[in-house]
Amino acid sequence: MIIKLERIEVQSHKDMEMIDITGDVERVVAESGAREGMVFVLTAHTSSGLLVTEGIECLERDVLAHLERLAPKEPPKDAGYGYWHNRYLDFDGRLGFNAGDHLKSILGGTNCFFPIENGKVVRGSRQRAYFVEYDGPLARTVMIQVMGQ
Amino acid sequence: MIKGIDFHTHPLLVREMIARHPGLASAARETYYIGNNFQPLKSFLMELDVAFLEKAVVLPMDATTSRGKTVYSNEEIAELCAMSDRLIGFASVDPHDAGAPGKLTGAVEKLGLKGLKLAPPLQEFEPAGRAYYPIYECAQGLGIPVLFHAGMSWEPGSRLKYGHPLQFEDVAADFPKLNIVLAHLAWPWVTDAVALALKYPNVHLDTSALYFDNPRDFLTFAMTHQIPLTVFERSLRKQLLFGSNYPRVEIKNMARAVRGIGFSDECLDLVMGLNAERLLAGGRS
Repeated sequence: MIIKLERIEVQSHKDMEMIDITGDVERVVAESGAREGMVFVLTAHTSSGLLVTEGIECLERDVLAHLERLAPKEPPKDAGYGYWHNRYLDFDGRLGFNAGDHLKSILGGTNCFFPIENGKVVRGSRQRAYFVEYDGPLARTVMIQVMGQ
Repeated sequence: MIKGIDFHTHPLLVREMIARHPGLASAARETYYIGNNFQPLKSFLMELDVAFLEKAVVLPMDATTSRGKTVYSNEEIAELCAMSDRLIGFASVDPHDAGAPGKLTGAVEKLGLKGLKLAPPLQEFEPAGRAYYPIYECAQGLGIPVLFHAGMSWEPGSRLKYGHPLQFEDVAADFPKLNIVLAHLAWPWVTDAVALALKYPNVHLDTSALYFDNPRDFLTFAMTHQIPLTVFERSLRKQLLFGSNYPRVEIKNMARAVRGIGFSDECLDLVMGLNAERLLAGGRS
């Protein structure tokens, strides 16, 4: 049984951004030596996400725009609601006014997995694994774990 | 749009500096109670990019007497600034140290620092105390601005009374050639701070205020409800500076809030950078 966990650092460059990490997932699987099994990918941060979708820029834009509509950083002034998270967090030494980014993380998901077959990641021909930044730019940690044999 | 300056940042999260000076990590946690993850310097610089700003003032704090520590010494700030020409280093001195004027002179003339940061609630001193006048005399002579923490302080153990704007009136009156910046709009005493700025042309305010809600809604309250925005636009446009208070507030969020509050383009250019440039060059409003 092979179990290997690798943490990679992903540097986002924008406030919101989709970063293709498929190559990192495939590299970790290849280096693990596992021929059959699964690879799990999880972001370590609650204002970021992990998701699988087609790897084209127009769709990246649509994903981010739609999540922003569903969970805006700042609700429109006439929205009739606000975020409870907008308060001082003594454990962080600051206000937590990024509830919209946490909600995007929940809506978009924080993890994904792929089967491993014959030492390769099995995915649909158009599927890519994305780290999704909702509150950047920041250096983020993504965990990639291979379980197989 | 001009390339602006963030006049109020604390480089508490810079990973490269913490690797060189591990004590900075605990100092940031224990003195400023900042819990964010440490970040490479490039994340800080990209924060500026995302906010369409060119440079940032980076602030140290010498709380040797009151807290037994510095959070960035002047030498460490100079070391950080050597890593990027986008960073403008300020000095800090312990106001209870009789040698403070000499240390300030050294920080400016030898280390190349461009201003002085003092935080009366954290450093536990009454800014108008005559014992501290030699520091202001020194700063005035050096032609550097003094950025005072003003208004509310989050840090446990700090006393709000030391941050009230009227604590600074004697300093403004007795050192008319000294450029003073009261941070955080001196919230909640915005009215008092505005009164001071209206009366004394050497008193400036920075926008780094966020005590509830989000930057957009908080600044709307403080700068349009507590005081009409027209007062800032018409009377104080040359005495208001953009500041974020990063990392308590991301630079991008505060910049978006200030740009969206309703200022004219001319006023925004002053607030987002031209006023800071003038103060850093020793000029008056």
